[in-house]
Amino acid sequence: MQILRKSNWEGFEKTRKMKRIEIINVVKKSGLKGRSGSNFFTGLKWELMGKGTRYLICNADESEPGTFKDKFIMENNPSLLIEGIAIASYAMDIHSAIIYLRGEYFHLKPKLEKLIKQSEKHLKKIKLKIKIVLGAGSYLCGEETAILESIEGNRPLVRKKPPYPSQSGLYGKPTCINNVETLANIPLIILGNWDNNLQLFSLSGDLNEPGIYEIELGMPLKHIVSLGKPKNEPKAVYFGGSGGCIPYQKFKNLRVDNELISEKGGFLGARGLIIVGENRDIVDISRTLSEFFVHESCGYCTPCREGNFRVVELLEKIENNKAKKDDVKLLEQLAYHISDTSYCALGVASTTHLKCALKYFKKEFKV
Amino acid sequence: MKKLDSLILQYKKGECELITLFEEIVKSKKYLPFEKLNYLSKKLDIPLAKLYTTASFYSLIPTAKKGKYIIRVCNNLSCNLNGSETILEMLKKELKINLGETTKDGKFSLELTSCIGQCDSAPAMLINNKPYVKLDKTKVRKILRELK
Repeated sequence: MQILRKSNWEGFEKTRKMKRIEIINVVKKSGLKGRSGSNFFTGLKWELMGKGTRYLICNADESEPGTFKDKFIMENNPSLLIEGIAIASYAMDIHSAIIYLRGEYFHLKPKLEKLIKQSEKHLKKIKLKIKIVLGAGSYLCGEETAILESIEGNRPLVRKKPPYPSQSGLYGKPTCINNVETLANIPLIILGNWDNNLQLFSLSGDLNEPGIYEIELGMPLKHIVSLGKPKNEPKAVYFGGSGGCIPYQKFKNLRVDNELISEKGGFLGARGLIIVGENRDIVDISRTLSEFFVHESCGYCTPCREGNFRVVELLEKIENNKAKKDDVKLLEQLAYHISDTSYCALGVASTTHLKCALKYFKKEFKV
Repeated sequence: MKKLDSLILQYKKGECELITLFEEIVKSKKYLPFEKLNYLSKKLDIPLAKLYTTASFYSLIPTAKKGKYIIRVCNNLSCNLNGSETILEMLKKELKINLGETTKDGKFSLELTSCIGQCDSAPAMLINNKPYVKLDKTKVRKILRELK
């Protein structure tokens, strides 16, 4: 696996002989995009940083259902991450970096802290301090501006953009927020012989061999799914909780990349694929996912807060054969209304799964 | 308490975050008691309401009393497909409590949680901060026995 290669601070030492702008140009040229699902060019993000005191935040709050690739990196090659943070900080002239680690990954904290301590001799060279702030169980805190609010000690609600964090982020200072996988790839880019298409996929669900697989972007869906050894014939593939789903049989030859999945109504996002077997009830799955969004909605805007609550109610009615004639239509309207009018990305994406389910598996929504 | 007071000093110097103070209290008390919140409010000169609205947002910072062991069963899609509901039903039966309740002896609280990133080892749960994975009935019984 490319992501398991060791750099042993060689990449970092190489950058020390480069000008800051040269490092940024190498990252820009590599084509690296944010691996959290945002798909924004990393080099460009670095270049856009404002002047003055700046911060780097490593977003280690991966909480998308079915996604555990950042955990895999922090468990199996954490030194690459620390080195990536050091190179990014050096390139942007940053002296304070924070790893915002999700509370559910508490068990990874001691190992990371020890590693930061062991890396001090390197970090000292660029006067960089890295600290870990532990999150406390909030899906919303995966969103970059909610992380800022969380660290600042406020109720972590999403900020309105602009201003973008690159101009006014943590404590009003320019802040760069990069995902774990994005930063871990930086030393490898610097060392060269690096392939941008090799990305981590989290496979789970009805599989005999769920886990992390490094796969070339653009591989056919059936190839990816077969790696996880399905327990039975797959019925649908879900892209996390918020990325919607596509029917497996119909699209098994589809090349998996961001554009092609989006064309089908889904969102590849952080590449967490949940494979659902032939015996599963799509309405039941829709309810499970919508319950997740009810739990994680911050309550700030009405469409997400009330809408998802009503979605669950309607899905329960359908499951219990208590739905009326127009309830499926109402469910569909609600799904679109929530995604069209919610305040933040969480609300907007909260019904993608339902819209896809209604598009591809409408027959299962019986009244 | 000593640790909390030293963290409060660090917070005042801008070296530590509010969420870390909450977590320190939860570490020993398993929840954030009102008296502690009041104590923080006075020490930090932050209105109680602001502290409460922040703390109560997080599912890992309970503001009501919990048991010594907080069991959080993941019921997200991957865990659900791999039998998390059976695990949940079994826990309810063994502990004789429902979701959101604490056993009479104050030992166990039972809750659901959002995805905990253990989807490759589903079904999974957290007990306090520790993940328990690849659960089945025998394994859960053994875990409970060891904690009782």
